[in-house]
Amino acid sequence: MIFYVLRRLLFLPIALFGVSLLIFAMIGLLSPYQRLATFINSPERLKSENVDKLISQYGLDDPIFVQYLRWLKNVFQGNLGWSYVGKGPVFEVILERFPYTLELTIFSVIPIIFLGVSLGVISALHHNKLLDHVLRIFAVVGWSFPDFVFGLIILMVFYSTLGLFPPGNLSVWAETIVKSQAFRHITGMLTFDSLLNGRLDIFWDALRHLLGPVLTLTYVEFAFILRITRSSMLEVLQKDYVRTARAKGLEEKVVINKHARRNALIPVATVSGQTVVGLLAGTVIVETIFNRTGLGSFMALAAQQLDYASIMGGTLFFGFILILGNLCVDLSYAFIDPRVRLE
Amino acid sequence: MKRILWWSIVVLLCLGWSGLVFAEVKNPDTYIYLSISEPDTLDPHFAYDTASGEIINFVYENLIAYKGESVSEFVPRLATEVPSMENGLIKDDGKTYVFPIRKGVKFHNGNDLTPEDVEYSFERGLLFDPYAGPMWMLIEALFDYETLEDFVADKLGMSWADMFNEDGSLKDEGYAQKLIEFYNQYIDPAVEVEGDNVVFHLVRPFAPFLSILAQNSSWSAVLDKETSVAMGLWDGKAENWWKYHNLKKEESPLYQQAIGTGPFKLLEWDRTQQKVTLVRNEDYWGEKPKLAKVIIWGIDEWSTRRAMLEAGDADQIYTPTQYYDQVKGMPGVKVEEGARITITAMHFNWTVSKESKYLGSGQLDGEGIPPDFFSDVHVRKAFCYAFDYDTFIQEVLKGFGHRIPSVLPKGLLGYDESLPMYPFDLEKAKEEFQQAWGGQVWEKGFKLTLLYNTGNEARQTACEMLKENIESLNPKFKIEVQGVQWPTYLDAYKQGQLPAFVIGWLADYPDPHNFIFTYYHSNGVYGSSQGQAFKDFAKANLNPLIEEAIAETDPAARAEKYTEIQKIAYENALGIPFYQPEEIYAMRTWVKGWFLNPMRPGEVNYDSIWKEE
Amino acid sequence: MLGFVLLLFFLAIALGAPYIAPPKSARDPYMMPIVTWSANPLPPSPEHPFGVAGKRDIFYGVIWGTRTAFRIGIVVTVASTLIGLAVGSVAGYFGKLVDEILMRITDIFMAIPFLVAAMVLTTILGAGLDKVIIALIVFSWMYSARLVRGNILQVKEEQFVMAAKALGVNDFMIILRHVLPNSIFPVLIQASMRMGSLVITAAALSFLGIGAPQGYADWGALLNYARNWMLGGQGEALRYWYMTVFPGLAMVLFVLAWNLVGDALRDIFDPRLRM
Repeated sequence: MIFYVLRRLLFLPIALFGVSLLIFAMIGLLSPYQRLATFINSPERLKSENVDKLISQYGLDDPIFVQYLRWLKNVFQGNLGWSYVGKGPVFEVILERFPYTLELTIFSVIPIIFLGVSLGVISALHHNKLLDHVLRIFAVVGWSFPDFVFGLIILMVFYSTLGLFPPGNLSVWAETIVKSQAFRHITGMLTFDSLLNGRLDIFWDALRHLLGPVLTLTYVEFAFILRITRSSMLEVLQKDYVRTARAKGLEEKVVINKHARRNALIPVATVSGQTVVGLLAGTVIVETIFNRTGLGSFMALAAQQLDYASIMGGTLFFGFILILGNLCVDLSYAFIDPRVRLE
Repeated sequence: MKRILWWSIVVLLCLGWSGLVFAEVKNPDTYIYLSISEPDTLDPHFAYDTASGEIINFVYENLIAYKGESVSEFVPRLATEVPSMENGLIKDDGKTYVFPIRKGVKFHNGNDLTPEDVEYSFERGLLFDPYAGPMWMLIEALFDYETLEDFVADKLGMSWADMFNEDGSLKDEGYAQKLIEFYNQYIDPAVEVEGDNVVFHLVRPFAPFLSILAQNSSWSAVLDKETSVAMGLWDGKAENWWKYHNLKKEESPLYQQAIGTGPFKLLEWDRTQQKVTLVRNEDYWGEKPKLAKVIIWGIDEWSTRRAMLEAGDADQIYTPTQYYDQVKGMPGVKVEEGARITITAMHFNWTVSKESKYLGSGQLDGEGIPPDFFSDVHVRKAFCYAFDYDTFIQEVLKGFGHRIPSVLPKGLLGYDESLPMYPFDLEKAKEEFQQAWGGQVWEKGFKLTLLYNTGNEARQTACEMLKENIESLNPKFKIEVQGVQWPTYLDAYKQGQLPAFVIGWLADYPDPHNFIFTYYHSNGVYGSSQGQAFKDFAKANLNPLIEEAIAETDPAARAEKYTEIQKIAYENALGIPFYQPEEIYAMRTWVKGWFLNPMRPGEVNYDSIWKEE
Repeated sequence: MLGFVLLLFFLAIALGAPYIAPPKSARDPYMMPIVTWSANPLPPSPEHPFGVAGKRDIFYGVIWGTRTAFRIGIVVTVASTLIGLAVGSVAGYFGKLVDEILMRITDIFMAIPFLVAAMVLTTILGAGLDKVIIALIVFSWMYSARLVRGNILQVKEEQFVMAAKALGVNDFMIILRHVLPNSIFPVLIQASMRMGSLVITAAALSFLGIGAPQGYADWGALLNYARNWMLGGQGEALRYWYMTVFPGLAMVLFVLAWNLVGDALRDIFDPRLRM
């Protein structure tokens, strides 16, 4: 097993190298003028022939592999470049924004799993009856909903008409406190930091701003968990040991809770890992709509503006997280279900 | 399980409702403005976008400022008098300007304002002259060159690039002496301190000079010499000045810092959230602002901005005119109107690059256009007749705009409503097409692609309108309208591949030269993109007039020349001036004291505005 | 089941598009015709049964958008599945070094967040439905590849394959005639599930402003028009409901149909399979 982990970890730098090559190759399809757009973002700046000099100043017309090697050299020196979208060094910008995405993921995974599992169990128990069908339709509809539509509807219904779930990270008054010297930033995530600083009011405020995106992500994603739970539960309920438990005369509730559910949750656990990893990368749209400053919205802006330093840095970072995440998920397979053998 | 579910719902609702308690006027001392972008850089000599200008404008100050809403009258600011012929502060037929500098002004860090600071600020800017920056205006005004590097190349006899190695060091130590001499001979004397005054020496009279200096022109902001030198900017000496030339945007220490003398101090620029926070300068020499704090927050989504205005979480938001109906009548909100000095027009490329993908087959065979398609005046006239100007302004701009005879906007010298304009007349358009290229256009038809830059609905609709109208004249006419992202548009534009382009221009300073030169001179930003054939035409017919007009000091004579230029533009259908837009500004009714100056970057006069019910 | 019925309904609309919503010009029926110059949306009326959004007829957009949805879904799914099949079967069958290399390449592609990669590629390639399709194919073949490979690894050890090998049958034929047919079902199921999410991704791209060209009949583009009007006029939050409801309903039902079909397929073909 150690060898397996080591082998996967050794692959990490190779994978990152491959990722960077891939993305850079794509960017290489652009002409120097298209790349120039990051610096010339309005017609006024087109004034003067200096514009073309910008191209040589930034080396945009060098052959693509020369540019790539230059970037690579910088990376090995610890310099990921300057992000024009984030207006700061790429690495700093990424580290600043990542906690917001992480926070959103954590706070979404909990209701997704919770809702998915509980409703999945209920669905399985009422197999093929009305409640089952209703729940399944409800879930599948959620999954069929584009997240941006649902997000906008939430904004429309809750913020516009009721004033709940405001956009942004924090309210003005809360932000003043967070930005001041008195507030210590430990994890970078507003909810946890506010608790660690002992400020319950900021905690509530941060939570309120989280709810809109969390609600959106939950409804759109929980269907998957529900189905896995349901089918797994159904299968388990057929198993011999369940019938034995029933024959023994145990209360139905105990049968469900103690015997059936625990075993049914095995595949759910592994799928949850995938969901977490998927969420980390999939918050782009929700962050844009609710104006949260996470990594997703940052990557969206970088992609739209072809800010190649940000794109490269961001995809490297995501690649790193995703590969590590997948490794953890695969490891958890082996851990949870001893029948699974890792090759 | 169910119990937990119920409790979660209860908690959810409580959280939501805890925010429902609204104050009467939210945040009474703080003004929250939602814009759609964030500043590019806070370095006054680099910034060339309105978002940056907005901040620089309230943190730094210039020598003079516009009076209220006017763009032609000035009031003193850091200078104690506005130079004019009458008070003798403009001398030598307009080649010398004297500014007496105010005393008792302090920078935000406590340093005093001295005339040396003014001299330093301008010289630093001139020497810095970053690529694609705004310093060309001062360089043109003072020296009649376009860029510092051009200036140096001309005087020293060799190009800038030839003097330096890749790493920035000089190729020959002898160059250092020449560069030092250059500074001493040309740059230093251009801005001098004489007693309590700062004197500017121009090589020839330049009418718009005062506008280029006035408040709202961020490139003329006054920095503190001591602070700047301490930050690592140019040390004010002749030696090694070239090391401070054309630093990259992020390398300039002024990128995110701003120490000025203005009514507001920069508290923070949160680049993650695209938020800039300003606080009142308690030691301001003039009338202190009523607001204690200003937050300018960049939020791209219109729906979000609107929702926040409605909830009172924002005091004013950037409102594109097409959403007028969404804010009109909103409770607690009023909508003001105003116009900036900007126009949008379509211009043609008379010699399109042969590699262009937008020419179709590249021949006049019904499936494309030849690269010189638009060099025929009949084609251009036909296009001019084919645009339904009034419907566009009514339907698309919702009436917020008006027609202009040429690229010169209303409000500037030389603007004349009585000048001839092309009416929307499909019959005439047809006639012109029939005469174009000896009748071949009408017989064989054509196909071309019009590009527009996505994100601007008005321009998109203008292209679509042209397409519909022109295609209705003859089934053989085919126009594809394509929206592309800015990088692609920029690429096609720079490579001369666009057969025609729709582009707008916002005044750098309120003088007709800024527009006329840009669009009609062969060296203008847009003029130079209209193809070699146009450049030849301009050199013969327009350049001389334009250059005379700017050298002329008598406004009446200038106006005459501009009228002549505009007539030539009309007769030759040089472009289709679509419209001069008006803007709307949606704000809460508790906002008081708002007014618009068309030259002000940004929509709000933070220093004189306040909130009360 | 319900899924099949819905799908047939959509198919009918797609095929009948030229009759239900006749295009204005024969040249490009996929471009929604401009019916008004004002950007304000208009509520449903007899000439425009679904209303007008972004100057265009929503009804037209929804009808022809059905064709677009099918096109994107089918082309991308078929292409990426074929590529995935090829890569996966080669990797699974030959194993060892070939497998290792191919799987690592797959991992590299998978390490990039899908939406981000699609966005970058579409921005680079430019506007156009075919560019969107290319971008989606490039970043979705991996999932079929992994699935196929996994199945092949299982099937490889089966008796009949070993028998064929012993008989000296050519490797390629073994893959084609013995191995693939037995691993194909999970792939089909996965493909049908993916159809729906692909349409959503394409819509997301249109929503972000990249992807299909302006005015192209695409549900995502229609929803993008709705984006700035979704919060309604002053006070009336639901004033422009038709901008969201019609294209949104079409999208949800379409994806729903494919998901249900996928479910049904799974129940039919292999009740043992859990995922």
